[in-house]
Amino acid sequence: MDTTYRKILNEIQSDFPISSTPYRDLAKRLNMTEDAVIEAVKRLKKKGIIRRIGGNFHTSKLNFVSTLCAARVPEEKIDHFVETVNAYPGVTHNYLRAHSYNVWFTFIAEEMAMIEEALETIRQKTGVREILNLPAEEMFKIKVDFAV
Amino acid sequence: MIEEIDKKIISQIQRDLPVHPRPFALLAEKIGISEEVFVERVKRLKDRGIIRRFGATLRHQEAGFKANAMIAWKSPENAINENGEKLARFREVSHCYHRAPKGDWPYNLYSMVHGGSRDECRKIARQMSSATGLTDYAVLFSEKEFKKTSMEYFT
Repeated sequence: MDTTYRKILNEIQSDFPISSTPYRDLAKRLNMTEDAVIEAVKRLKKKGIIRRIGGNFHTSKLNFVSTLCAARVPEEKIDHFVETVNAYPGVTHNYLRAHSYNVWFTFIAEEMAMIEEALETIRQKTGVREILNLPAEEMFKIKVDFAV
Repeated sequence: MIEEIDKKIISQIQRDLPVHPRPFALLAEKIGISEEVFVERVKRLKDRGIIRRFGATLRHQEAGFKANAMIAWKSPENAINENGEKLARFREVSHCYHRAPKGDWPYNLYSMVHGGSRDECRKIARQMSSATGLTDYAVLFSEKEFKKTSMEYFT
């Protein structure tokens, strides 16, 4: 990757300026022009390297709860199961993983009871009974930046 | 307590900021407040820790992290904190959590590892194992991404 892109990416992951002219402020820090920064960010988004620019929130401070769920899904049921699970807006990440518990998804909602209820509905709709709800007891790390 | 105005602001910044010289002005206009108030409130949300991070979220694969693994560890409960902190110290670890074991799933400590290849992830797992002394662990590579979005809290 181009050095300019690298510099920009390492700067805007957690130090994106919260100001009326963020790109001008970035340009100053990086010793570039505002137009050049904007062009580069546009290109990085177009290439798919930047997924989005915005806020990432402390879920519990917004009075929401989050959890990780693991399901043991027979191969022939995976498509239907994933479709059913992904239809919930609170499901933000969902991965196939190599294990007998093979489908892993995160679930955010206003209350844990809503998640429990959703999991029961998913069990009934899909016939997949083995879904574990694994809420965090403690968080040791959420990393902010990826050095690229 | 989150004020209504902040909920409206959050509903704007939980999406993708327009790439524009005055991005916050565009969002402020949508909810009928001034750019100045919008920017001040976003700063305050960050100072209060409600915004954990404001900035770009990358697609790891596109940024050169080709493999990711969730490594689940079985740690004695009385050494969870110590081991959790040791795992968290690894540069390659993005997330590290303690979760109670459940049913036939015996693991209670989780670390997300990003690396250039699966072998690299396995190597990191071995280093983590020697750092903690934990030998019972499962490396779960992600085989397919079914969904990856950002939560929309207030819509």
